[in-house]
Amino acid sequence: MSFGRPHLRTSYEQDSAIFPTYFQKGAAGLFLIFIVLMVLGNGAAGWIPTWLFGQTWLNPLTLVLPFAIAALGFNILTGVTGQVSLGHAFFMGVGAYSAVTLGGKGDGGVKACVPFADNIGLLDKAGECGLGLPIWIWLPLAGVFAALVGILVSPAAVKVRGLYLAIVTVGLVFIGLHIARMLPEYAGDYESGRKWPKLDIRIWKEEVPFIDMNEDGKWLGLIYLTEEQKQFFFLFAILLVMMAFAKNLVRTRTGRALQAIRDRDVAAEVMGVPEQHYKRVGFAISSFYAGIGGALWASYQGRVSPVDFSLLLSVEFVAILLIGGAGTIAGTMMGTLFVELLPKAVEKLTNWLSGNLDSGGVIGDLANIMLTSGPGDFGPVSTSPTAPGWPMSVFLWNPVIYGVLIVIFLIFEPHGLFGIWVKIRNYWKGWPFSY
Amino acid sequence: MAVVTEKPIAQSSGSGYRTVAQRAQEWATKAPTQVAMRDKELGVWREWTWEKTWDMVMEAANGLLALGVEVGDRVTIHSEDRPEWVIMDLATVAVRGITVGLYPTNPHAEVEYTLNDSGACIHLAEDQEQADKVLDLPAAAYPSVRKIIYIEPRGIRRQVDERLMDWQDFLALGREYRQANPGEVEARMANAGPDDVMTLVYTSGTTGPPKGAMLNNANADFSIEIIGGTPERIRGHIPNTKDSVLTFLPLCHVAERIFSTWHMVGFGVVLNFAESIDTISTNLREIQPTLFFGVPRIWEKMHATIMIKGQDASPFKRLLFKPSMNLARWIGHKRAEAAGGWPLTARLAYWLGYVFVFRAMRERLGLGKTRWAGTGAAPIAPELLEFFLGIGVDVYELYGMTENTAVATLNMVGRNRLGTVGEAYPSIKESVRIDTETGEIQTKHPGVFAGYWGKPDKTAETFTEDGWLMTGDVGEWVDDTHIKIVDRIKHIIITAGGKNISPSEIESSLKSSPFINEAMVIGDRRKYLTALIAIELETVGNWATRENLSYTTYRDLSEKPEVIALIEAEVERTNEKFARVEGVKKFRMIPKELDHEDGELTATQKLKRSAVEDAFRDLVEEMY
Repeated sequence: MSFGRPHLRTSYEQDSAIFPTYFQKGAAGLFLIFIVLMVLGNGAAGWIPTWLFGQTWLNPLTLVLPFAIAALGFNILTGVTGQVSLGHAFFMGVGAYSAVTLGGKGDGGVKACVPFADNIGLLDKAGECGLGLPIWIWLPLAGVFAALVGILVSPAAVKVRGLYLAIVTVGLVFIGLHIARMLPEYAGDYESGRKWPKLDIRIWKEEVPFIDMNEDGKWLGLIYLTEEQKQFFFLFAILLVMMAFAKNLVRTRTGRALQAIRDRDVAAEVMGVPEQHYKRVGFAISSFYAGIGGALWASYQGRVSPVDFSLLLSVEFVAILLIGGAGTIAGTMMGTLFVELLPKAVEKLTNWLSGNLDSGGVIGDLANIMLTSGPGDFGPVSTSPTAPGWPMSVFLWNPVIYGVLIVIFLIFEPHGLFGIWVKIRNYWKGWPFSY
Repeated sequence: MAVVTEKPIAQSSGSGYRTVAQRAQEWATKAPTQVAMRDKELGVWREWTWEKTWDMVMEAANGLLALGVEVGDRVTIHSEDRPEWVIMDLATVAVRGITVGLYPTNPHAEVEYTLNDSGACIHLAEDQEQADKVLDLPAAAYPSVRKIIYIEPRGIRRQVDERLMDWQDFLALGREYRQANPGEVEARMANAGPDDVMTLVYTSGTTGPPKGAMLNNANADFSIEIIGGTPERIRGHIPNTKDSVLTFLPLCHVAERIFSTWHMVGFGVVLNFAESIDTISTNLREIQPTLFFGVPRIWEKMHATIMIKGQDASPFKRLLFKPSMNLARWIGHKRAEAAGGWPLTARLAYWLGYVFVFRAMRERLGLGKTRWAGTGAAPIAPELLEFFLGIGVDVYELYGMTENTAVATLNMVGRNRLGTVGEAYPSIKESVRIDTETGEIQTKHPGVFAGYWGKPDKTAETFTEDGWLMTGDVGEWVDDTHIKIVDRIKHIIITAGGKNISPSEIESSLKSSPFINEAMVIGDRRKYLTALIAIELETVGNWATRENLSYTTYRDLSEKPEVIALIEAEVERTNEKFARVEGVKKFRMIPKELDHEDGELTATQKLKRSAVEDAFRDLVEEMY
């Protein structure tokens, strides 16, 4: 690659490079450094203004990371392979429950892991199954188990296509919920759930973790980090690895086969791309991501119940893909950030408005119009978090906002946020011409 | 890419000349890993190091020996620009043969003429299409041709003709021969003399059949040293290994040979082959050549492209485009007044334009890194050069012809006078003169050719009694230093009123309009001047689309009253620049695209005036 000649490609490696120019390499590097510095500055130092990247934003942002991993998987299945699936929540659940079974604390020993142990007389009373294994075992296996289930499901994708596949996969979510209800020894209580293993890295089952992720303190004796920062960096590192893998997948023979199937499965088959095999591969990889994402999300949350892996979660991924832009890594990231942070932003906005209810002026008027603070008020948003009907609470407004956004993006910008970025990029690429 | 830091030494030819093959061999020993050439293969640029290139030259040279090529035998090459062209050329020179290039567009008749006139024994045809031009006639029609080597086997493989040979087989033959007779090519190379004819360059022949101009090793060496080694030619330093060129003009033409292959062997400039004539703009963008030589047609086309794309841009870009083009013209005008230098006002204005438009525009055109650009081989309108000066691409007009190995005059950095072809090379100031009687430009220097192949009478006709080469161009001095070409002697129009008029000046002014592709001014022994004009299909078509004008064919578009009105405005604009007698009173549209195959253009896209006048005689007579 010669400097200043970005279009001169002397090998296919250059042609398919992730960051083909020095400028792009540099920009990616700077972006990484920026993120790291932002998070570091967020701690005790406090030299980052809180309105820009306050402490309050670190937790929601960390929560986005497992979702981003799962969304990458959804993108591989739906965006790259073209198989519309609404079962992603189910695969996340498989990963999460594999994690808790392998890594969680159990009270009945190995015997508790036999289904219906109390009913068949193995145990006196129902116990929770958990082997207490360290993270380097339960995290990969969570992905592997999810992938195996994905492979089991994949033949359905060969038989049915499009919307029908979506409906078949919806069935998965309900089957999953049903199984969870049947097997409390794995899933815990249906409503309140059970405790997940912490994110600490242990070598085996020792008391003091090798790398501690849940206490403020020095990390490996090198750098002082708060609990939040540690968790962010840990999850962020995993996300980077998963992103690199996803990006590379698209550039390989397998990735091209998956895209061929997306564009037209019959044509792909004619070209010599075995449809069944690659649909299986697509499901396996996608479910692997979902499993990892689900395990990390549940662990980060600490306590999760089966109802969290409902159809709504699957729909959230559809929103991520449509808003972000299907088929691209960057789009998936943008979509995840947008969809996952939107509720937080709406909540913040509502709080801010309600704080200004009586301040008068434009903001006060706006707050009066938007909010309902008590009876006799007719704003669409209720300040009470548990408002059942109209006016709706902030939390109930979120799905409505997703729905409206999906419709808007489908009509006006089918390529999502990424499509908008591409348009902006092409505008400057063509400068001073338009083509 | 390995970079060799040592600069090639521009030796003066006094100490001993080197053939182009010897120069290539020197590079292969001095810088084996350095990239010599690039060509595009399956979507990526394949790099040829000097070692690989020279290795293949040796194989080809041995192959030629195996085929019995003797000293002075002619090898014809009929192909688009591609590495094999260069390799066969160097191989032929290595075995002291004579390379004869044919234009890829040459039709059957011209191929037949060239092969038989030169008496070629080996013919290299690019593909089935070119090979067919030879194979269509019985073998007896080409008594001298022994082997026809083809590069692209598609469509030929099963054709039975014992003269045919695959390029790969040819190289394999060379490898075998090399093993059996090591050192034979080297021995031939060592015996090469300065008077060895190395190539025949067939003149395009606007009048009469083409003549093969013989250039010998001394001519080539002189030309490489004088054109490449003149430091005043290029801002910065003389060509070196960091430079790159894109080659797309036919390599059989002397100008392209000098600015591509001879720059490559002389100075290690990286030679990049354009995929085809249609992909030049893409390839230019990829390669971003530092040195760029284009014929006026290319510059006209580039200018037209800028204008079309600018007008098609989105509203905000369009808003910025118009003033920036005016700015470019203003800067160009200022710079032209300063002989191509940078007056402070122009420099400041350029910085402004550079930030907003010029940098991106140059990058889009592929001229972002160009430190020297040249034009020649045909007249160009000064306004066009002014425009390119304005966007920071310094285009220097040069003058030369096949018969003096393209060495005559050049415009130099800081002494660039638009509208002239420049001055004599500084190291050989006395090599150019203008005959006081006829006004003809004449040259005399070691680059003057050895004569026409097999036409001693024609050779004698081109020299004066005291041994100066008659160029056939009428010129005049500007400020006693620069030379302005008036026209070809044969083209000068003498009107019925007895006034001498140079049509090409008017024509190039007409052609500087993006809407006019070709123009021919007529008026010899007539009362007034008229013109035949051919429109540029792309730009006029684009204009028509924007004007909501529907059209079907080229002819249909040409004959639309709106289009005629458009061209009339362009003609009026040209007339304002000239004296009354030089004004074009009437014009007619040429109803077809002029073509080499139909004999209206030469292989170098020059107008064959008599042929065009014959073909459209009724249109011409209509105007008088």
